[in-house]
Amino acid sequence: MAMIDLNGVSIIFPVYNVSARSFKKDFLRMATGGSVVEDAKHRVVVHALQNISLSLRDGDRVGLIGHNGAGKSTLLRLLARIYEPALGYAKIEGRVSPMLDITHSMEDEFTGRENIAVRGAIFGLTHQEIQEKIAEIADFSGLGDYLSMPMRTYSSGMFVRLAFAIASCIEPDILLIDEVFGAGDADFMEKARKKMVTLLNQSNIVVMANHADDVIRQFCNKAVYLEGGQVKYFGDVNTAFELYKEEL
Amino acid sequence: MVMQTEPDLLGVQHVDVDVCDRMEQSIDFRLQSRQSDLAWVDIKEGLTHWRIWLLLAYQDIKLRYRRSILGPFWITLSMAITVYSMGFLYGHLFRTDLNQYYPFLVAGMLAWAFISTVITEQTEAFIGAENYIKQIKLPYTLYIHRIVTKNIIIFFHNILVMLPIYFIFHESIKINFYTLLLIPGFLVLYFNAMTYGLILAMTCARYRDVSQLVKSLIQIVFFLTPVMWSPAVLPPNKQFLISLNPFYSFLELIRAPLLGVAPTFFHLAIVLGATILGAFFAMRLFVPHRSRIVYWL
Repeated sequence: MAMIDLNGVSIIFPVYNVSARSFKKDFLRMATGGSVVEDAKHRVVVHALQNISLSLRDGDRVGLIGHNGAGKSTLLRLLARIYEPALGYAKIEGRVSPMLDITHSMEDEFTGRENIAVRGAIFGLTHQEIQEKIAEIADFSGLGDYLSMPMRTYSSGMFVRLAFAIASCIEPDILLIDEVFGAGDADFMEKARKKMVTLLNQSNIVVMANHADDVIRQFCNKAVYLEGGQVKYFGDVNTAFELYKEEL
Repeated sequence: MVMQTEPDLLGVQHVDVDVCDRMEQSIDFRLQSRQSDLAWVDIKEGLTHWRIWLLLAYQDIKLRYRRSILGPFWITLSMAITVYSMGFLYGHLFRTDLNQYYPFLVAGMLAWAFISTVITEQTEAFIGAENYIKQIKLPYTLYIHRIVTKNIIIFFHNILVMLPIYFIFHESIKINFYTLLLIPGFLVLYFNAMTYGLILAMTCARYRDVSQLVKSLIQIVFFLTPVMWSPAVLPPNKQFLISLNPFYSFLELIRAPLLGVAPTFFHLAIVLGATILGAFFAMRLFVPHRSRIVYWL
């Protein structure tokens, strides 16, 4: 049982340039009675998401469509609870697995096994569960004994395979995917695709951002068309694509 | 897992002054209480996720000494080299009784190493965890726990340096009942390392210069705090100045039990005051700004 309710959610990003971030500038502004204000006013604010209202329930497979910078990744991070709404109301229920950047926090000096332990703990698995997953991950990634080697000895393909294997061994209620299809070589890609399909079917709610149209057409039953941080359309996948193509 | 956030005007306040001005009249106590609920959830989940920070702290240490033969015992060894040579040098420079001075300096250095490293590392607590914070939702307090725990583990490697001291200077210091006061001492220090750590980690994530400032100030504090020198060498009319230094009082929480004596009530009173202040300011910062931390990275 999972649910996502967004009601009028906005996310406002401060972009700190070097001068705005420095304590000296704030201090100077105070000390000089505001004469450096122009400098401090260079603070840039990005309205990354504006007034988003969405309601997702079990069985929803949602594709996010939009140009670069339309807010796809920001929306995924909102759903992952990494960003909290600056305005509006968000209710997200269910265990979330954010497959955003699957190689994050992988440590080169550690062995594959140690990395599995750390990542597993972060995702909330118990020691017991991690031990069970290790065999599964070893098998799926095809790394075998390499799991006992430091990750700096891995080729980039092996690195991605392990990262994918770890990220995909979590069985979430809500699955968030940012461009992770197609990891590794052709052989593995096929395997990864199959795994993703299983994962998609297991999850109650899936939200994915992908540049390849066919992936969204194949797996999603709904689509969100984002433009400039706003939802232009939410509903049927084909209609969303038509609207998107018209813009181009 | 439920997250509910209603319009957070306090959050917007730091982002865009104009937005805030327009909405000022609608600030509602209810919204502030929502932020404080979320802050408490963060603190509570920070505690219940102890497995993660314990593992991360352990890995941080392991990572540093990877591929070295002595491994983490380099911590002990480098501490031993520093304090033993310093004890010898300053003992002679100050022409003091080595029986008193040597244990005093070694215990003081152990305590200082803990306090100062926690402070300098907390300034990077959020900055250094950027790739976690931006990829997965974990309580912010988890990263603060991670650094305190790591330094406690290091402290208990360092404490081995005291063993020869107990043996050689057995006439002037003893392991006794008061040594057990290390345990409550560390509980108090842990709490303070959390509250002040949170203040530092947040401030330094927002204002990057503060981190550098803290690192250079801590050097000065080292000289101003009786670590290398005993307060007894000061003229009596100047001694009150030193007693106002809260670092001295916190230091005593570790040093006094290591030397087999109890910290004085005066120091405990200062620590109590500093603890209350720290908790107060930590919450004053954390409640309204918690949700903004991710944007500062």
